[in-house]
Amino acid sequence: MGSHSCILTIDRNQRNLELLAQFLGKEGYETVSVSALESLEQILEHPENIGIALIDISGFDRNIWAYCEKLTELGVPLLVISPQKLINIRQESISHGAHGVLFKPLVTRELTTIIRTLMGDVSHE
Amino acid sequence: MTQLDSKHENLNSGLSGRMETGITGLDEILHGGLVPQRAYLLHGNPGSGKTILGLHFLTAGVAKGERALFLTMGETEDQIRKNAASIGFDLDGVDFLDLAPSPDFFSQVQSYDIFSPADVEREPTTERITAQVEELKPVRVFIDAMTHFRYLSSDDLQFRRQTHSFLRFLVDSGATVVFTSEDSLAQPDDDLQYMSDGIIRLEHDHETRSVCIIKFRGSDFMSGEHSMRLSDHGMEVFPRLLPASEVMQTFTTDILPSGLPELDELLHGGLERSTITIISGPTGVGKTTLGLQFMKEAAERGERSVIYSFEERVDLLMSRSQNINIPIASMAKDGNLSVVQVEPLYYTPDEFARMVRKDVEEKGAAIIMIDSLSGYKLSVRGEDLVLHLHSLSKYLQSMGVAVILINEIEDIMGQFRATEISVSYIADTIIFLRYLELRGELRRAIGVLKKRFSDFQKTLREFEITQSGIKVGKPLSDLRGILSGTPHWQETDKN
Repeated sequence: MGSHSCILTIDRNQRNLELLAQFLGKEGYETVSVSALESLEQILEHPENIGIALIDISGFDRNIWAYCEKLTELGVPLLVISPQKLINIRQESISHGAHGVLFKPLVTRELTTIIRTLMGDVSHE
Repeated sequence: MTQLDSKHENLNSGLSGRMETGITGLDEILHGGLVPQRAYLLHGNPGSGKTILGLHFLTAGVAKGERALFLTMGETEDQIRKNAASIGFDLDGVDFLDLAPSPDFFSQVQSYDIFSPADVEREPTTERITAQVEELKPVRVFIDAMTHFRYLSSDDLQFRRQTHSFLRFLVDSGATVVFTSEDSLAQPDDDLQYMSDGIIRLEHDHETRSVCIIKFRGSDFMSGEHSMRLSDHGMEVFPRLLPASEVMQTFTTDILPSGLPELDELLHGGLERSTITIISGPTGVGKTTLGLQFMKEAAERGERSVIYSFEERVDLLMSRSQNINIPIASMAKDGNLSVVQVEPLYYTPDEFARMVRKDVEEKGAAIIMIDSLSGYKLSVRGEDLVLHLHSLSKYLQSMGVAVILINEIEDIMGQFRATEISVSYIADTIIFLRYLELRGELRRAIGVLKKRFSDFQKTLREFEITQSGIKVGKPLSDLRGILSGTPHWQETDKN
């Protein structure tokens, strides 16, 4: 998995963060979990170990897009997680640097495949 | 042990290995109880009594020293224990596996939406259930409600597979499983119905409750809807009477005389046991009094009778009878008569039938009088009166009981009709009483219209109720047009 083995998970819902950490842990990934933008700010000061970021946009305001762009600038691939299948969310996510958009509830098999692909890409850089 | 209890006991011992549900009437419908190590679906709307039936099932097991497990996915253990205690259930010996959401589920800490519940909760839930079942090895398991597992499955196919596998696991572990479903138009429980070995359907509307067995693999059962009552004592089920009852006695047509020579002459001896007699006539003509006369005579022989009075108050009936030399108070005191006031709007026909069965099977009643068919009709509440009356009468007949049905007809005089509710065919004997106007006086006449098991006098006789009792006169051979209500003497015709 190389040096970028950690997955940054961003979610307002603490239980969602726990479940993501449990699931990704079983898949062999370490996670860094963040539920507030202030904490995200601090983590982005040292983004070296972050392989990809999973951002659940539920509960955040439009400022979240600025952080998406920042992650893209730092070279961290990101996946946006949305509560609804809305075309404009997909378009906006892509326009702010997202590699893809996933809709809740996540299908575990699909999530594993996407993460493996993205982490593989990173480790080959 | 009562005869009804003993019948229940016999059913159980006869079908060895049956498992009692804890509700006597339901076990009767199931021909002794559930077949063990099978899975049964309780199907019914909210408030139909599914959980109460489950409590009976579990506590009946505990009473026999069996391990019983209540697996709850809706109400919490605490709520269930409190509700059960309020209707007299002691759940001390019942083990609980509480899978109901905790109160803080809706707080941010517990709720989630990132994965489906099927992905998040199925595994830990399955692990908890498996661990509990393996540790306790319950003989009885009640699951309330199985449909909650639907939310732990990704699709219908997965739900069917998982539920099937879960039920097999419980049954293979030695348990008999009763589970409920929350059936709705959006999510019907057809799949659970196919998976179960038996389906007990509970129904209720504003006035009545009923239980019906839809399916029972490996056993016969009493089909149809049977009345059910939920009370402070839990659930009671009243199996519908079927004429071909296993309790059938030898048919006998011994004569039950009235003790009045003229009346017995009219009937060629009296009424027969194991027969059904309708006494028909307009209001106040003396139908009840005539029925009481047979009971008075039976009491003198030491035989017991029961009157089910749907209309007249017991105290009024007692006082009135005392005034005409039918001492029903002392007959009751001696144990030869029981007068039961029946409120037709309270009892269903099946509940009433249960009451009658107790009097016959436990107290050995020889004559039963239902006073009147109009009152009984009220208790039927729009259902098929003839069907219920047929079942009850034929059952009583099969038990060797003489049945007297009091039937009021509306017309005081005029057009003659034996009954107005098409039940004449049930009767072996029809006795009618009529008012007639003779020489400006209101008089009464008695006649026999039908008697299946013997001949009878075809002439009518005058009928009077006096302070010393009933008086039946000589045959009114010279009167013509009696049934019209305005008869005339034959001699008058000649003049």
